[in-house]
Amino acid sequence: MVVVCLALITAGCASAEKDPVVSTAERFLSAAGQGQGGPACGLLAPKAARSLDDCEKQIVSVGLRPAAVREVDVWGDEARVRLDGDTLFLHRFPEGWRIRAAGCDPRPGRPYECEVEA
Amino acid sequence: MRRLVRDNALAACFLLLFLLSLAGQSVAGTAAYNEDQVAEGGAPVTWLQYVTSSTFAVDVAENWQSEYLQFFLYILITVWLIQRGSPESKKRGEEGLESDAEQKVGRFAGAGSPAWAAAGGWRRTLFSHSLGLAMGLIFLLSWLAQSVAGLAAYDEERLARLEDPVGWGGYVLSAEFWNRTLQNWQSEFLAVASMVLLAIFLRERGSPQSKKVGDPHSATASSG
Repeated sequence: MVVVCLALITAGCASAEKDPVVSTAERFLSAAGQGQGGPACGLLAPKAARSLDDCEKQIVSVGLRPAAVREVDVWGDEARVRLDGDTLFLHRFPEGWRIRAAGCDPRPGRPYECEVEA
Repeated sequence: MRRLVRDNALAACFLLLFLLSLAGQSVAGTAAYNEDQVAEGGAPVTWLQYVTSSTFAVDVAENWQSEYLQFFLYILITVWLIQRGSPESKKRGEEGLESDAEQKVGRFAGAGSPAWAAAGGWRRTLFSHSLGLAMGLIFLLSWLAQSVAGLAAYDEERLARLEDPVGWGGYVLSAEFWNRTLQNWQSEFLAVASMVLLAIFLRERGSPQSKKVGDPHSATASSG
């Protein structure tokens, strides 16, 4: 009973949370790809935005582009969106999902290496 | 009413202690979780959010599974193994399932015996092992719950570290899962071994878990 509930809660939460995660990721990549630094930086987690000296200028110069979403994982307040040629990591804040890391490449056995990272 | 309470005081006492401890764990756990959240720049969570989180669930389940495993193994192993001098052990020569007469089953069942003790076939077999089966089943379910809740907490941590999530199969083979599991098991086994050995030489006057104060150290299967 406990296990079934846990499984349903886990699966249910993960499934219901995917849409806003994908939406945030797509809006972010669309803004960055179209050179709109302000909106793109507005979707970054505060720490990630602060990691860039001039966020609005730098965020549009790292080559982020909209791409097809291949896989979405949501666990608690953290999420990963894998796209064709890019991976994003997001964190859920009270105001909604924000990008913690973008332009990420996998490294076997180690954390992803990211162009922008909180 | 007073008699009902007195007749069930032992179970009621431990159920109350359980509820108070669980409530205390949930409050302390919320505070500890929020300390970490604030330190990492996140937002604090409410008590309700915490008690429905995988973090709380895995902390609860990992302790449950080890406690039920302890009782399951103790119930089962004491059928076959004895400890001379222990008040909770059978005497030498009594190892095993014992005869129907000794266990008061089948035609040896008394007027007050449970119906399934007097019955034959699968009902008697099932009832004869129902305590161990119940403990074993609760252990397995708690362990499974630990793995499901632990996976959610573990994958959340991995994503926060910019690592790929591992899935259930990866989690139950992970060092994290076995570290959580074995650190609970070792303490349970030590506690049982300590109880078995210390009860040979030490006494607690009036406790059925102890021998009578004046019983010799070599006396087995007596309680006072």
